[in-house]
Amino acid sequence: MLKRESVDPDQLSRLVEAIAASQDRAAFAALFEQMGPRVKTYLMRSGTAPEVAEEIAQETMLVVWRKASYFDAARAGAATWIFTIARNLRIDWQRRNQRSEPMSPGAEEEADLSPTPEESVLASFREARVRAALGELSEEQATIVRLSFFAEKPHGEIARELGLPLGTVKSRVRLALARLRRILDEAP
Amino acid sequence: MSILHHPSDETLLRFAAGSLPAGPALVVASHLEGCAVCRNRVAQFEAVGGAMLADLPPTPLKADAFARVLARAQAGQAEKDTPEGIFLEREAPKKLDGIVLPRALHGCAIGAWRWVGPGIRVSRVVVPHARQANVILLKVRAGRHMPAHGHTDFEITQVLRGSFRDGGKRYGVGDVAEGDSECDHAPVVGEESECISLAAIEGHIRFRGPIGRLLQPLVGL
Repeated sequence: MLKRESVDPDQLSRLVEAIAASQDRAAFAALFEQMGPRVKTYLMRSGTAPEVAEEIAQETMLVVWRKASYFDAARAGAATWIFTIARNLRIDWQRRNQRSEPMSPGAEEEADLSPTPEESVLASFREARVRAALGELSEEQATIVRLSFFAEKPHGEIARELGLPLGTVKSRVRLALARLRRILDEAP
Repeated sequence: MSILHHPSDETLLRFAAGSLPAGPALVVASHLEGCAVCRNRVAQFEAVGGAMLADLPPTPLKADAFARVLARAQAGQAEKDTPEGIFLEREAPKKLDGIVLPRALHGCAIGAWRWVGPGIRVSRVVVPHARQANVILLKVRAGRHMPAHGHTDFEITQVLRGSFRDGGKRYGVGDVAEGDSECDHAPVVGEESECISLAAIEGHIRFRGPIGRLLQPLVGL
């Protein structure tokens, strides 16, 4: 069994960079072992059937290998980069299968919207700050952010999980995200 | 262009999470093109996704998963990357009535303006691979009231030209207005010019008044 262990963000970035630099198979194996199974969990939690989640998780890791040279640690951390790849593949799959079909935000951004210098500078601080901010949220707020992020019908699931009437969920979501925003916007 | 009204944090979070439906996501993508503040916010929310991903418990992949991926990786140096998004075509900028449309709309089929009432025209936007998404361009004459309406679910609008006022706020070019099931409104277009906006509607829209009833069957929402 795989055990629960936390992922070291800097190590992840180094692994992706090693793949980009020299198609390092050992680095890919290590990255695959850490992130492949987590990508599968992410996909299943966002409502993807297990066999499809397996397929998209494999596809995600294949794209990681192929696009490693596009990874830029100054723009996003490796886990964030892998998250956006998995997210876009999930959206593509949904679209091909004619379900309710969110549109992938990433493709166009990758092609055209290069960050301004300010945005790039911020990127290197962003990851650590976001992790710290998530840790500062109350348990209820962290649950709200997590379900807003992963759930297909967030309000219903937040109501269920926290035992809240549906009518109060909207304001709780607003409060939790306002808190997150305040923490994120504070100077580091 | 100074943007005063942005999508809500919840909308940007769902956009970053990939759970915003295609129509509203198109409007958000169009807003992001001109709004560095929201691009930064989306990047933060994507980092939230990365942090949560790194923190998830693993679900084991099939025993041969790594071998299969590695084989494909090594065999497939020549294999073309599958497109990850729909905006890969490099088209000339699409224009409408002299406005360069947001790049987010470039892959979409945009219908002709149809008259739906005095001073109001609508054009249907068909999003590739999401044809059921309800997205319209709306052109309303200067000073005119837009049809009064409410929604069963969610409406998000970005101004592309001109301005409108709604609920005491003025929305100019680049601004985004969101409405949900609690909102029932009749926006008024500014006097300075006609207003062209891009709107995505989730669920159903309920028009009131004679123009609204004209609009209802034509917009088909």
